[in-house]
Amino acid sequence: MNGILNWILWLPIIGAVVAIAIPNVKDNVVRWITLCTTSIVLVLTVVLYLKFDTSTAAMQFVVKVPWIEQFHINYHLGIDGITMLMTFLNALLFFICTLSSWTVEKNVKAYFALLLMLQSSVFGVFFSLDFFLFYVYWEVMLLPMFFLIGIWGGENREYAAIKFFLYTFFGSIFMLVGIIALYYASGKGVDSFSILAHQGGKYVNETVSIFGHTFSFEHLFFWFMFLGFAIKVPVFPFHTWLPHAHVQAPTAVSVILAGVLLKMGTYGFLRIAFPIFPQAAVHFSSIIAWLGLISVIYGAFCAMAQDDMKKLIAYSSVSHMGFVMLGLSAMTTQGMNGAVLQMFNHGTSTAMMFLLVGILYERSHHRWIVKPDGSKGYGGLSTKLPKYTVVFIIGMFASLGLPGLSGFISEALIFLGIYQKFTTITVIAVVGLLIGAAYLLWMFKRMFFGEVNPETEEYDDMNAREVFYMLPLCVCVVVFGIFPSPLLNVMKASVGQLVDLMAKF
Amino acid sequence: MIQQLFGFLSYFIPEIICVVLMTTLLVAESTVKEEHGSRGKIIGYALAMLALCLLFLFQNLGEAPRFIFHNAITIDPFSTLIKIIMVLGTMGAIFLSYSSKDIYTNLKSEFAIMAVGVLLGGMLLASANNMLTLYLGIETLSILSYVMASFKRDESTSTEAGMKYALYGGLSAGVALYGISHLYGILGSIQFVDMVDKLPGLEGTNLLIVLVSFMFFFVGIGYKISVFPFHMWTPDVYQGSPIPVTSFFAIVPKMAGLAALIRVSFIFFNNNSALSISWTGLMLVISAMTMTVGNVTAIGQTSVKRLLAFSSIGHVGLMILGVVVLNEQGVRAILFYGIVYMFMTLIAFYITSHLSDMYGTDSYDVFKGLIYKHPTMAIIMAAVLFSLAGMPPFSGFVAKFNIFSVVIEKKLYGIAIVAAINSVIALYYYVKLAKTMIFGQADGDVKVLGFTSGNQAVIIALFIPVLFLGIFWEKVMIMSGNAVLFIK
Repeated sequence: MNGILNWILWLPIIGAVVAIAIPNVKDNVVRWITLCTTSIVLVLTVVLYLKFDTSTAAMQFVVKVPWIEQFHINYHLGIDGITMLMTFLNALLFFICTLSSWTVEKNVKAYFALLLMLQSSVFGVFFSLDFFLFYVYWEVMLLPMFFLIGIWGGENREYAAIKFFLYTFFGSIFMLVGIIALYYASGKGVDSFSILAHQGGKYVNETVSIFGHTFSFEHLFFWFMFLGFAIKVPVFPFHTWLPHAHVQAPTAVSVILAGVLLKMGTYGFLRIAFPIFPQAAVHFSSIIAWLGLISVIYGAFCAMAQDDMKKLIAYSSVSHMGFVMLGLSAMTTQGMNGAVLQMFNHGTSTAMMFLLVGILYERSHHRWIVKPDGSKGYGGLSTKLPKYTVVFIIGMFASLGLPGLSGFISEALIFLGIYQKFTTITVIAVVGLLIGAAYLLWMFKRMFFGEVNPETEEYDDMNAREVFYMLPLCVCVVVFGIFPSPLLNVMKASVGQLVDLMAKF
Repeated sequence: MIQQLFGFLSYFIPEIICVVLMTTLLVAESTVKEEHGSRGKIIGYALAMLALCLLFLFQNLGEAPRFIFHNAITIDPFSTLIKIIMVLGTMGAIFLSYSSKDIYTNLKSEFAIMAVGVLLGGMLLASANNMLTLYLGIETLSILSYVMASFKRDESTSTEAGMKYALYGGLSAGVALYGISHLYGILGSIQFVDMVDKLPGLEGTNLLIVLVSFMFFFVGIGYKISVFPFHMWTPDVYQGSPIPVTSFFAIVPKMAGLAALIRVSFIFFNNNSALSISWTGLMLVISAMTMTVGNVTAIGQTSVKRLLAFSSIGHVGLMILGVVVLNEQGVRAILFYGIVYMFMTLIAFYITSHLSDMYGTDSYDVFKGLIYKHPTMAIIMAAVLFSLAGMPPFSGFVAKFNIFSVVIEKKLYGIAIVAAINSVIALYYYVKLAKTMIFGQADGDVKVLGFTSGNQAVIIALFIPVLFLGIFWEKVMIMSGNAVLFIK
């Protein structure tokens, strides 16, 4: 059973290599290879979930093999409750994305191979318990992403790909400095690159000096790590790469970007920045909360101003990830649980929205709610595309946090958590919810109601394939909206341990 | 006495092989008839001899350090490892010169003759154990380099490159010699060992003069490894020279200069005296300036050769950080960096050379849409660019990681941040080139020439270490670590 993480991690790579290795392969064969790989991975993840012991916060399914003994670097994998959810989300979304990418016609082989490599590297980020391994996966993930946006993206794809690449690299290089500093601060012991060995606030009293100024080790390197993760989330003011990357990326890549890659940022806070520098995290929690709040409000207002559907959803991601930051900054049981739950729920609901945008785009070849010349991009979709409308309503309401759907529970938990700490921020953040409802409903009104556009007449409703891949997400959104305990149970122990740690500082 | 000298010669075999190779090539050049295939045979012979030389070097790698020829030369694992890198670099450049159209086609083996001569100078420099040998090394290295730079006789850029190189080189060698003469005047010896003994007794003006003399001396080496502010010649020379020469310049003189810099720094400044603090401080500033100037200037370049030239300045800046920390880990990191950098540079120049041969220019345009014209080469080139930028899982990342880690171990966070920002800048221009290759659309369906199956095999063979050392780098680190142990 212990090798199951290895299988999940390496199967996509094996699939990619097989797809590349077959000469003159038919496009359909590549698609089926990818689908087989991602579905096996999904099945393995479900097995993993069933075998998962929810009672402990300790790492499970651990694999530890020495890699570079000279530097005490290990190939060290393991998962806890938080990672379990992210693993499932990753496996699910990649399975769905494979199906949704069925219509990609350009360089099919390379596209699916890169998609599989991306999946593997995202798993790697979530599984790594060794800093060096974590960093390698964190960076490697950029390469398939860069090519996926740059080759299969929209008109302005080169700019978007480079901006995404540089921004993330900028953040992560500071993280690298932090990682190495931690290695030496811990005294170069056997586990000096182990993420877990550093946790628990061991560096509270250390100082460093830069250019003659003395700083607290903990505070300085907290910000180094913060930069790396905040760019990934993205937290205001590091969010400017996101709308470009989203708008230019092909549908499946947008789904992955919003669905899992952004979660790597918040995951970094949960696994690295907070447990390793708890004192700094508590000390700066109000700054994090304010930045989260600005992301919520600013993201929502930006979303409201967009005429491009995909850009609107992209900015709504900024807003929703702001809620996660708020939940994290609360450092209370409810807040943390809410944040992790929101990570999962945002993954499913935003994936739905991006997929829906993609489905419509394949029919209309534009994404304008209001075209640049002022005319309506769509109109009366509800009469022409009933199935599409139903799915859209589910996704939209999950996204804006309607009670009974998944978004509500996580947001409610976040508010419960944060109210105990930052009352003002809570009050303002609620406004963010309201704006969220406003821009989504307004978009819905403009696209689905009113007169039917002449162009809209010709659109087909969702076909069987599209219904098939939207279905699991709809189920997730509805079921976890009413009955979130399968998710909460899994993460309870791990989140509890983190909250206990933070409470000491 | 004579017997002893002959005994010493047995440790000197790699250098002797080079001398033999150089002279036999000269004879061959003037006697072998020019006919189809003779050029290939001569180059094959040169490569075989260098491989033999490599064999002896590998044999020397495990041996304890020896001082031969009255302490003038040290043969220790450190110098041997540097020599291995240089010989490999020379072999790569000679192989490239065989297929490159950039080298004047009437030449049979001139390139190999000059390259082996420069290599000999580099070997001398890496092994130098007194100031005179060191100076001889610099000069041997330089004089033939001037000729190499102007290999394209009928092109004004190449002649200009040679002229510039010679003028700058002559000046800086002169300044270095001036510094050395002052050192001799104050310390009374040219032997490193005797000079070090005198250092602690110095005070007042003498100390100041020694420091200034060392700075003068540094001009000579700094010019060879092209650090700020002695880097001005690099882009022009790199651009003007034929590509095999450029790839050769990016590896051999740099490694030789770095070896000399490391040895001098370790022998003279490996203590906490005022002199050593000034020296490391100077290195720190030079390193920061070198990488910043190199990387920032690289952004605006339109010629790929110039881009690689400026980026090589950036890389040297990063490598010098291994000297700043003045410990074994630092040198180990430089050696690892040097090994990896050699492979990456060779590949980058190989591919650039073939493309510029085909289109007659080395601007970004020739790389446009390479992925559609020759996918394998485009992917390898992209991987090498990412590796140069320090992205995992390629070995460039490990090299960068090692340098960062020695700097942070010494708690030099400030310079670590400067280096971090520099690597973002470097990523930008590398990615810009990668973008042109992969996102750009090719103009027409022209097949790229030059990538014969033999050339492809060589490029792939060079690429394997770039990939492999990014994941399994422990063995090479241990090898570099062992080489460092005997430096003092």
